[in-house]
Amino acid sequence: MHEFNWGLLIVIYLFLGGLSAGLFFAAGLADYMTVDDKPVYARVARMGAFLAPWPVAIGSGLLILDLGNWYRFYKLFIHFRWESPMSIGSYLLTIFTVIAFLYLFAWLTADERQWLFSKVPATWKQVHRLNVDISSWRGKIAMVGFPFSIGVGIYTGVLLGAVSARPFWNTNLVAQMFLFSALSSGAAALMLAMVLNKKSPAEKHEIKFLVTLDVVFISLELFIILPYLIHGQLSSLAVKQALSLILGGPYTFVFWGPFLVMGLLVPLAIEVYELAPNIFKGHEFHGSRNLALTAAGLVLIGGFLLRYIFVYAGQVSSFHQMGMLN
Amino acid sequence: MAMKKKRYALVIDSRKCINCKACVVACKAENNVPIGNFRNRINEERKGEYPKLSINFEPEQCHHCAEPSCVRVCPTGASWQRKDGIVLVNYDECIGCRYCMVACPYDARYFNEEQGVVDKCTLCSHRVDKGDTPACVETCPSKVRVFGDLEDTSSRIHELLSTRRYRVKEPQTGNGPQLYYLL
Repeated sequence: MHEFNWGLLIVIYLFLGGLSAGLFFAAGLADYMTVDDKPVYARVARMGAFLAPWPVAIGSGLLILDLGNWYRFYKLFIHFRWESPMSIGSYLLTIFTVIAFLYLFAWLTADERQWLFSKVPATWKQVHRLNVDISSWRGKIAMVGFPFSIGVGIYTGVLLGAVSARPFWNTNLVAQMFLFSALSSGAAALMLAMVLNKKSPAEKHEIKFLVTLDVVFISLELFIILPYLIHGQLSSLAVKQALSLILGGPYTFVFWGPFLVMGLLVPLAIEVYELAPNIFKGHEFHGSRNLALTAAGLVLIGGFLLRYIFVYAGQVSSFHQMGMLN
Repeated sequence: MAMKKKRYALVIDSRKCINCKACVVACKAENNVPIGNFRNRINEERKGEYPKLSINFEPEQCHHCAEPSCVRVCPTGASWQRKDGIVLVNYDECIGCRYCMVACPYDARYFNEEQGVVDKCTLCSHRVDKGDTPACVETCPSKVRVFGDLEDTSSRIHELLSTRRYRVKEPQTGNGPQLYYLL
């Protein structure tokens, strides 16, 4: 009955954009964590910096492909319309991507940098002038990048939340929900990469850092989703009807089963099971490889499903349904 | 002489509608609307069970809102509004992101697959500028639609709105829709 103007490409893009924001945030945070002035999570930060720019770069590519006239995407950058979340977002996304690539560059070792520039033809002198060591800038780049990573994480929610015609989206909570989901996906992806990296196996304190971070983000996300449901039920009829899409309607199963239970509560339970004995009884942190992999994988699937549910269910919701009730 | 301010709108007396769809066909012919797309439609609302049965036909198209959300969300300014209230798409500026379609509470816009741009009812601005009425208004055999300038106090549309009761659809979206349905 209803046509979907935005489809899977937009879902994937929203997920990838948030993932990059989360990866950058976690990497920058790890960079700042020191014990006795010594960086203890430098490997986490480096891994995060290496991963962060790619999802958003791919996502932006998908976004451009989704346009009716993809080659006209440059028009986004010859106009600035502060009332349009998409206009603000396209600038935000570009600046963030540049910062994320800069941060990656700052984490390259001298050898890696030489290898990279050895691929550039020697006659391209201007490019070779960029072959400088900026590793001392890491902290500053991370500091500048934090607000932009938060901005990108929030923007993916604002893009939907700012649409007054769609009661499923048009609440104050969607932006925060997407932000915390993005940060949690970033921490989970980083955990996945650290555990899967066989060359230099992750150490327990590194896994513990990421698990702790993820527990915090998942909890925050959970306590945005609960008020979203409660507020919605107590809100105007249109919002209540929109919520029925996940409370009995076609998106009920995917919301409660795969997303809320498998993508949020189960990984939260796994991570708490890993952390709790360490925090409350002083036992050594488990650091189980398989549990970390399971939790991280589930969080990523959950993050994707959240976007899927919101993009599709939101487009079905409208004020028209009110007339049908009378 | 200074140009007088104009505000075009449509008054719809839906009780007169017989669902002949001449307005839909006239619009498609006038504006070369691609097969499968429509700029206007007739909503059908059935009530009750036979023999206590009623049906209501309600023509709908772009509401040419006072505060159009499609114009607000457009990232390039391709969706724009004329001073006389008509909401249009500048096809050269449209990148085809379809944000306006998502943002329209009335599902009044469609995506032109061939050109990769969004399109919509123009209130036949090309006819209106010559002093004619939109094609859907002109063709209607039962005179459901009345087109006119709200600022012109001598117009038929002004008279209808000051003497008859009417409603607009979904005013709670804050868009300020300008299709007036007579009760």
